[in-house]
Amino acid sequence: MAPMPFSQLDTAAVARTLSQIAEQSEDVVDAFFERREETELPPDDEGPGLRVRREEGFAIRLTRQGKTWLASRDSISAKPFAEALRQVARALPSATYPEPAFQLPPFEPDPRTAAELIGIPDALTRSIRSHHVGFPARITVRRHRRWVQVVGPRLVSGQEQETFYSLQAEAAWGAHGALYPRLDSNAVDQFASALVHLFRARQAAPPEPFRGTAVLAPAVVAVLLHEAVAHALEADVLARGGNPEAAVGVAMAGPGVDVLDDPAAAPPGVRRATDDEGSSVSRRWLLRGGVVEQPLADLLWARTSPVLVPGAGRRGSRHLPPGPRSSHLELLPGEVREDDLLSDADGGLFLEEAGRGALDPLSGEFRLHLPFARRIRRGALGDTVGPCVLRGRVADLLTRVAAVAREARPAGAGWCAKDGQKMPVWATTPAVRLDGVEILPEGGPA
Amino acid sequence: MNGTATTAAAPLLDEVLVALLRRGLPDVEVFAKRGRSRRLEISPVTETSVFSQEQGWAVRAGDPRRSFFATGTGEPALDGPWPDPTGRPVRLPEPVPPGGAPPWNEPSDFSAPLIGEREGLKLLESLGRELASELPGARLTRAALEDGSSESEIVNSRGLRARFRNRVATLHLEAAGPGRSSASVYLAAREARRFHPPALARRLADRLAVQSQGAPPDRDGGEFLLAPPVVARLLCGLLPFLVGPRAGALLAGLRDRRGRIGSEHLTLIDNGRLPGGALEAPVDGEGVPTREVVLVEEGVARQSLLTWWQAESHPNTGAPSGCTRRPGWRDLPAAGPTHLHLKPDPRIPVAALLGSIARGYYLIDVSGGGRFDPASGTFALPVCGFAVEGGRASAPVARAWLCGGIGDLLQGIAGAGRDLTFLPLAGMIGAPTVLATGLELRAG
Repeated sequence: MAPMPFSQLDTAAVARTLSQIAEQSEDVVDAFFERREETELPPDDEGPGLRVRREEGFAIRLTRQGKTWLASRDSISAKPFAEALRQVARALPSATYPEPAFQLPPFEPDPRTAAELIGIPDALTRSIRSHHVGFPARITVRRHRRWVQVVGPRLVSGQEQETFYSLQAEAAWGAHGALYPRLDSNAVDQFASALVHLFRARQAAPPEPFRGTAVLAPAVVAVLLHEAVAHALEADVLARGGNPEAAVGVAMAGPGVDVLDDPAAAPPGVRRATDDEGSSVSRRWLLRGGVVEQPLADLLWARTSPVLVPGAGRRGSRHLPPGPRSSHLELLPGEVREDDLLSDADGGLFLEEAGRGALDPLSGEFRLHLPFARRIRRGALGDTVGPCVLRGRVADLLTRVAAVAREARPAGAGWCAKDGQKMPVWATTPAVRLDGVEILPEGGPA
Repeated sequence: MNGTATTAAAPLLDEVLVALLRRGLPDVEVFAKRGRSRRLEISPVTETSVFSQEQGWAVRAGDPRRSFFATGTGEPALDGPWPDPTGRPVRLPEPVPPGGAPPWNEPSDFSAPLIGEREGLKLLESLGRELASELPGARLTRAALEDGSSESEIVNSRGLRARFRNRVATLHLEAAGPGRSSASVYLAAREARRFHPPALARRLADRLAVQSQGAPPDRDGGEFLLAPPVVARLLCGLLPFLVGPRAGALLAGLRDRRGRIGSEHLTLIDNGRLPGGALEAPVDGEGVPTREVVLVEEGVARQSLLTWWQAESHPNTGAPSGCTRRPGWRDLPAAGPTHLHLKPDPRIPVAALLGSIARGYYLIDVSGGGRFDPASGTFALPVCGFAVEGGRASAPVARAWLCGGIGDLLQGIAGAGRDLTFLPLAGMIGAPTVLATGLELRAG
């Protein structure tokens, strides 16, 4: 376990200083401190070798009546802190702001301790060969670590720490990436298996356009939930189309669809007790019985309506203000055996891996890009088809959930890059069968 | 030194360089960057003002067998801590001999102050008003303006030293219109004051109107007038044919019997020193002097865009130029265009090109990601615009795909207008309005 860097931060002095710019009772004022480290083992044909990126800094924020002022710096020291405070304050104080003393331990003195990354490329190659295939691939392995401390004038949250790993493979026939909370043999085998499937599907022709059944593996359900449920229920996205609180009570999916965001139930290593605003996280029912119950909100949006509850504020960087985002999505299991999802289907496609998804928040149109799929013939998997797109309007697509499997599994994760803020998102979900959905070949007309 | 700016970190960079040399690492590069930016964002309910000061550094170092890359915020410490070198060695550029680099004077607007909070918010608000007056029912759903300046410095163990400044502003707009239509634009310019609200509002309004009223055509051909955003996206999809040591072989596959890869209206240029360009700089991300490189001249392929290290590894593929991009201190230098553009014809107004179309389409924008397949030599790009008859727009077109062969696209360019416009894609990619034939529009 890496040491917590903000243990010696004089949070009481920071809080006292911040209280000077919180002039109105409804003001949101906080100081966000972060330290990050990314250790990267590049492909073996690429120089330079081991890459270590380390950074630390802070941001001070004042939110008042829908307006936010934020000042950020790439260091944690007294003078820049006082400067940033002056930039955020809306009224000049009679005296200069005090400069709290900051004492932070240095980063771990030896950045060479990324031993867990070193053997991964070889382990991946072995795992790929165990599938009786072999192909050249350029493998990049990264360890991501982040420490966060939020201080408000009245509340000081606990320090948070996240550690996770990412794998990226590039081959002549395509690329694949994934995030893992642990870099163990399961992660390696899972990644290798995904690569092998992509390799075997590399020359498959896209399917003809069709409307019918699609059985979604958990990894695909995770992307579907992220784009079609979580993004659609972020308070700032809802506000683009009208009043966010008007979404509460709207039937958005079939009655068997229960979706939660629960950062505290995320895999160890990325589990959170508080969000990036220092608010306690909760087990948030986004959809209960297919009906919208609690949209994702941060402190800013929670100020706009008593219906919206904070605890989902996330920041991709100290240089940008937080926004409402999901962390760890769960689809509650249904009652159907996973095998029966396929055996009950006659025709259609089995979607095993998802590329990226996209949601147009205004039209509600959703697209899920799939690198390949398998035909379902008489309840069993048939031949492979090439890249395709699952398309539909969110409100229609989610009502087409015909069955949810009873085996929920950690479904991997991915990077979310909304509004220029890149952050990891996680999911635990069972497989799902959708009926009457539209699937098109990727890349437009043939 | 190239450039005219100063940075305070200079002596420290030299000290770090020497400290790493003393550790037995003969190849060392130290890079430092500091910048300031103001970001203003409005939505129908919120307003945000951010002022950031960033400062970071990067070190590439190694011996003939192995190397490392380390970055951090603030200033580098002499004793690191540095990672152990692993993997491959790092390659560093040699300095240009005295007099070898063309002179360059820093533009005066590099020193212009960042846009103020009130001024920036006023610009965004006026955009919203202009949009509403252009198209009743249209509104901005999000507008983000960022204006920033930076100072960078590089020293390396080969003796290369460079200092340079950058000044760039970006504008991201998202709008909603009648019939649940939506449109967005993302632009970059040297400074925020160069964005022109009425023109941007017209562009968004046109796009929203076309999206809400347009229909996809039946499979159709004819003459195509392609607005700069469409041509820029096409050029972006063609980058594998233009950039890097393998580009020459790909481009050679497009040669016709006369040895040309495009019509005489096709001249493609990359220029890191483009006057007024958003990324204008005397040197690239490794400190190598930038210059203008003609990649295709009147339909004849001249050379690929190559960095010094690509040209060294692949002799006889072309002369290198400073074309290594380094967006920030966290990033490793990577090859890529700076201001890649299709040369405009200053004599030809867009109206003249439109008036010359008997039957065809005027495609004003791109509505999603496209497909470019170098192996099959084909492309497909989702577009919107107008059908044209007798030189006049006759009906809006949406949910359509512009399809064709990459060779047909380049050979079919029948004219270029004078309205050169750059978009921030892979670097700045620019194009004027282009008249093209030999392509197809299909429903998607």
